[in-house]
Amino acid sequence: MFDTAMTANDLLFLLKGAGMTLAVTGVSVAAGTLMGVIFGVIRVQIGPWWAAPLTFLLDIFRSVPLLIQLVLGNAFQSIAKLGWAPFTTSCVILSLYTAAYCTEIVRGAIDSVPPTTRRAARSLGMTWAQDMRFIVAPLATRIALPSWIGLTLGVMKDSSLVLWLGLIELLRASQVLVTRLQEPLFILSICGLIYFLLSFPIARLGGYLEKRWSPND
Amino acid sequence: MKTKVLALAALTTALAGPALADKLDDIISSGTLRCAVVLDFPPMGSRDANNTPVGFDVDYCNDLAAALGVTAEIVETPFPERIPALMSGRVDVGVASTSDTLERAKTVGMSVPYFAFEMAVTSNDKAGITSFEGMKGKTVGATAGTFEAIALEKQVKEWGEGEFRPYQTQADVFLALSQGQIDATVSTSTVAQANVKTGNFPGISVVGKAPFDTDYVALFTNREEYGLINYLNLFVNQQVRTGRYAELYEKWVGGDLPDLTVSGVYR
Amino acid sequence: MFNYTFHWNQALKALPQMLDGALVTLKIALLSMAIGLAFALLLTLFRLSGSRILSGFARTWIEIARNTPALFQIYMAHFGLGSFGIHLSPFTALLAGIAFNNAGYLAENFRGALKAIPDTQTRAGRSLGMSAIQAFRLIVLPQMLRVAFLPITNQMVWAILMTSLGVTVGMNTDLAGVTQELNARSFRTFEFFAIAAVIYYAIAKVVTLAARLIAWRMFRY
Repeated sequence: MFDTAMTANDLLFLLKGAGMTLAVTGVSVAAGTLMGVIFGVIRVQIGPWWAAPLTFLLDIFRSVPLLIQLVLGNAFQSIAKLGWAPFTTSCVILSLYTAAYCTEIVRGAIDSVPPTTRRAARSLGMTWAQDMRFIVAPLATRIALPSWIGLTLGVMKDSSLVLWLGLIELLRASQVLVTRLQEPLFILSICGLIYFLLSFPIARLGGYLEKRWSPND
Repeated sequence: MKTKVLALAALTTALAGPALADKLDDIISSGTLRCAVVLDFPPMGSRDANNTPVGFDVDYCNDLAAALGVTAEIVETPFPERIPALMSGRVDVGVASTSDTLERAKTVGMSVPYFAFEMAVTSNDKAGITSFEGMKGKTVGATAGTFEAIALEKQVKEWGEGEFRPYQTQADVFLALSQGQIDATVSTSTVAQANVKTGNFPGISVVGKAPFDTDYVALFTNREEYGLINYLNLFVNQQVRTGRYAELYEKWVGGDLPDLTVSGVYR
Repeated sequence: MFNYTFHWNQALKALPQMLDGALVTLKIALLSMAIGLAFALLLTLFRLSGSRILSGFARTWIEIARNTPALFQIYMAHFGLGSFGIHLSPFTALLAGIAFNNAGYLAENFRGALKAIPDTQTRAGRSLGMSAIQAFRLIVLPQMLRVAFLPITNQMVWAILMTSLGVTVGMNTDLAGVTQELNARSFRTFEFFAIAAVIYYAIAKVVTLAARLIAWRMFRY
C-alpha cells in the first residue's frame, strides 16, 4: 500500500485542493450565516403569513439537490451574461444554500427564548433592539451554536460538489491524481483522511458544546 | 430639450458602442484568447507531472492565439461545463474535442471540423472480447453524452442484451475498464491508444475498430458570432494547408493523418 | 439582457423520460432508507452492547459516514472497492453509498433519542420479568422511533437529494442521470435542469407531507 508513485508535489496539490475546499466553505458559511440571521429575524418578526414567500423561496434550496442547484445557477449566470468565475458561482449558490438552513436554525433559536423573558425585558423599558441584543442574542446563540457547527461541517462536505463546475477542490484534486497515478484506493483514502481531519475536531467541539450547554444534562 | 437630445445621443452611442465591436474585435483588443479545454482527455488535453496543461487542444489554442496576435489562456472545463463557460463569457472559444452534432448546433456555433476521430474498441483482457461484435451481452461504458456514447447506447439497445454505463469523464471510463467494472468501451482511437500506451491501466488493450461514422470535432463559439466563426474556419483551413495540423498530429498522436473533408458535399 | 432563447417546448418533450427517472430516484431513496434504518438499529445495539470491538466498529462507521462527503462515499463504493475486485453496479454503488451515509446519521439520531428515555424504564421492564431484548423491543424502541421520527423524515429528504450524486459513478436511469444525459446531447442546460429541480422539489414535498400524515396517524395519542 505504501509503494506509491505519489510525490510530495502531488500531496501539495491535494493540500491546495483542501485549501480551495476551505476557501469556498469559509466564504459561503460567512455570507450564508449573515443572510440566515437576517432572514431568521425577519421571519420571526413578521409572522408566518407575511414571511410565506421567503419561507417558500428558502425551502427550495433545501428540497432540490445541491448538484442541480449548482448546475442550474451556473447555467443561469451564463445566460444572464454575468460572467462569474466558477468560484463566485459556487460561493453564491452555497451561500444561499447555507442561508436556507441557517434561517431555520436562527428561527428555532429565537422561538426557544421564552416569551415571558422577552416581555419582562420590554417591561423593564428595553427597546426592541436592546431586547434582541441583551436578552435574545445570548440565549439564542447557545441554542443555535451546536446546530450551526453541524451546518458548517455539512457545507464543507457538500462543497465537494463544486468540482462539477471545474473548481479543483479536494475531491477533484484526488480525481486528477487518480487519473494520472491509477491508485484509486490509496489516493481516495488520503482524501478521506484529509476531510476527516478537517471536520472531526470541529464536530467534537460541537458535541462538547452541546453537552455543556444542554440545560438538562 | 437640448439636454434631452444630448442624453438621447449619449444613450444611443452607449448602446451602439459595444454592438459594433464583435467578439473577434473584443479578443484582439483585450489581448487574450481564453480557450475552454478538457484536460482529462489525453492526448487532446491532459496534465503533465507538474500538473500543467498539455496536449493537442492546448497547442491548437496557442496557435490560434498566435494567429490573432494575442496570448492564450487555457481554461480547464470538465465536459459538462464547456457550454456554460462559453455562454457566460468566461471563455471565447472552445477547443475541446466537441462533436459537431446538429442537436448541439442549435445552441452553439460550430466551425468546420479541426480533427476527426476513428472509434476503437478497448476491452479488459479478462472479458475475452476480440471484436466490436464481441461486446454483445457484456457490460460496456463510455463518456456520457459523447458521439460514441450515444452510438454505443443505441447499439446496446439494438442487441437487446448487456448493459450500458455512461461515466462523466474519460478517465473514469478507463478506470472502470481496468478495474473490470465494465468489460469494454468504445472511445476515439487516439484516446484509446494514448491511454493504453501510458501503462497506467494494466490488463486492457485495443481490440479493434468500431463500425461507427467518423466523429468530426469542431471549434465552437457563440452561435451569433459569424465574424469569429469565419475566422475559425479559415484558421482550421490554414492549419492543414501549412502542415501544422500534420505536425501536431505527429507530435501527439502519430500514425495516419485523418482526413477532415467529407467527399461528395461542400463544407 | 438575455442573449439566449429558451427552447422549452423541446425540453418538455423529454418530460415522460424524466418522470420515469424520478421513479427510479424515489425507489433508490426508499430502499436506501430501509437498509439504512436496519443498519442504524444494528449500530445502536452494537454501541449499547458493551463490547469494545462492536462499539468501536459502530463508532468508526458513524464517524466516517458523518465526517466525509456523501459524494466521496459513493465514489469510494464504486471505484475504491473496485480496486479490490469488488464490482458494484452504479445502482448498487449508489444504494450502498447512501445507505452507509443514512445508517451513520440515523444511528447518531438514535443515540440522541435514547437519551430522552430514562434508564429506569428499562430497569422497570426487566424487573417485570422481560428479557433485555424484550425490554429494548417493547419499551425503548417504540419511544426511540417516536422521538427520532422527525430526524428520520429529514434523512429521507436527504436520501432523495443524495441520489443525484449517482451520475458520478455512471448512473443514467435516475432523474439526475437522465437530465445530465439530455443536457450533454443538446447543451440546453438551463431548461433541463430547471425541470429536474421542479420534479425534485415536488418529490421532497410529497415525502414530507406523507411523513407528516404518518406521524399524525401513529403518534396522535
